Amino acid sequence: MNRSSLHFILAAIVAVALPLFMRSGTLASEVLIYAMAASACNLLLGYTGLLSFGQGIFFGLGSYVVGLTLLHTPLPLGLAILFSIVIGALVATGVGWLSIRRQGVYFVMLTLAFSQFFYFLAYTFKDITGGDNGLLNIPRPDVGPLVLRSSWAYYAFIAIIFLLIFATLQRVASSTFGRTLLAIRDNEERARAIGFPVRTFKITAFAISGAVTGLAGALHALLIGVAPLSNIDYHMSESILIMTIIGGTGNLFASVLGAGFYVIVSDLLSTIWPRWLLLLGGLLVVVALFMQQGLWGLLERIILALRPASRTAAGKEPGRSPL
Amino acid sequence: MIYLFQLVNGIGLGMLYFLLAVGLSIIFGLLHFVNFAHGAFYLLGAYLAYDMIERGLNFWAGLVLAPLVVAALAALTEIVLLRRIYHLPHTFHILVTVGLALMVQELVIILWGPVGGNVSPPEALSGVVMLGDFIYPQYRLFVIVFTMVLALGLWWLLEGTRLGAVVRAGSESTDMVSLLGIDILKVNTAVFALGAGLAGLAGSLAAPIRGVEPFMGVEALGIAFVVVVIGGMGSYTGALVAGLLVGIVQSIMTTLWPEGARLMIYLGMGLVILTMPRGLLGRA
Repeated sequence: MNRSSLHFILAAIVAVALPLFMRSGTLASEVLIYAMAASACNLLLGYTGLLSFGQGIFFGLGSYVVGLTLLHTPLPLGLAILFSIVIGALVATGVGWLSIRRQGVYFVMLTLAFSQFFYFLAYTFKDITGGDNGLLNIPRPDVGPLVLRSSWAYYAFIAIIFLLIFATLQRVASSTFGRTLLAIRDNEERARAIGFPVRTFKITAFAISGAVTGLAGALHALLIGVAPLSNIDYHMSESILIMTIIGGTGNLFASVLGAGFYVIVSDLLSTIWPRWLLLLGGLLVVVALFMQQGLWGLLERIILALRPASRTAAGKEPGRSPL
Repeated sequence: MIYLFQLVNGIGLGMLYFLLAVGLSIIFGLLHFVNFAHGAFYLLGAYLAYDMIERGLNFWAGLVLAPLVVAALAALTEIVLLRRIYHLPHTFHILVTVGLALMVQELVIILWGPVGGNVSPPEALSGVVMLGDFIYPQYRLFVIVFTMVLALGLWWLLEGTRLGAVVRAGSESTDMVSLLGIDILKVNTAVFALGAGLAGLAGSLAAPIRGVEPFMGVEALGIAFVVVVIGGMGSYTGALVAGLLVGIVQSIMTTLWPEGARLMIYLGMGLVILTMPRGLLGRA
């Protein structure tokens, strides 16, 4: 069995196991929604080497688009979600096209500045977005025979979408396109010299990432029935990025781990202490100092320590991980 | 007349943006380090000044002390933590400074509450200046004059002193500077403290104009990035020109389209990137 199918099975296990361990369908749904957003962020960060501080833009727009479509048109849920995906991809293409004109830290600063731009856009046009209050009373209509009103039914709906998206992203990552992204990440000059259209590849990665993040945002708005302003603000971009880095950027399942950890731990901590972000800030420093491979790397180290036999196997084949 | 008023307002605002951005810029120039905690130092400067004045300390003492405390805290952070991560990729610089910014923001909420407050300008400057028909608050005028004197001093520090020469040489090659027998570690700490202190000073100066609230740090960080992107990183003149430009555009737009004022500066940034990817005065 190759690594990619193993990771898919792990993702499927997560999707099935969450309802067994969690009391709230809403929280379980959030885990999978953010897992999608973090995986999309990872496609940029881990596979293309682009640290985007603007993922909240696509998440927030996804929320607004699905909400506006369902509130103002008689269109079915499927189409409304499709609109969110398309808008996410289109805006990501634009943001990507502009941001990759600069590299390194300038690129990061540009994506952050764009996230502020879209935040103020949503804030300024209160008539459309509801401003500070958010876009309220978003319905969650049935999809054909599927009744999604209960939180666990909706969870099942999200879980299916999550697995589809996860498999798709895996296909993208292992395709020639994905391999080329890795080449660009490792040595952009060389990739360009070989003749790859580096800009087009980067923008395409942005578009895919934006589409998936827009979808995640749409599912989130349907989950809570609101498209809040906070879905498009700086802290949303920050959270998605933090989940991705905490999980680890080596593979897509790491992002699922990161999202699960972030959502569950922040839920636990926030019920205990409203100022839990202080602890999160400290955790980020610890991750940067001692856990640079993220949770996935930590997991690998633990498994290596528990299975002495595989340590020698890993020693023979440098670079191969046990999972 | 309203436009003249907003123009002068914009100059004051722009000079504060300049202080913020030039700090970020010199830190990056020497340390090649993106400081996402820069807004947190601004936040801290504003709250420390607020706290000191609330406790009955003289305004002027607060204005001097608050940025100094910020600079000292920044120096400590650099020595204890940041020094250990310079060799890591940018991702981890961002992760650590984002973590620091979150911690500062939450600490501010724990210490001073989530609501924020107002700072009154000192009594000597609480009146207005009248020049014919033109009426302007004294404190805002003071901010403009003070920051301009400070900008001159900073220019002299960077261009005319030994420290400035070391900083500029270090931006080209830190190894070479070390080989010349200069303790680069101390220079790093000093520059980080200077940059953070400037952000803190911008916060202290801004507090009587805009009040204090725990989320002003994030906003300042976004603005500092815009100014640096427009002006070009590592350029003193760029930070000055772009800071003033952003301040004036924001101020004038406040009259024309109040809700969209902040939107316009980000739109302006997009236009600059579209036409001049290197920024107005950036080199690389």
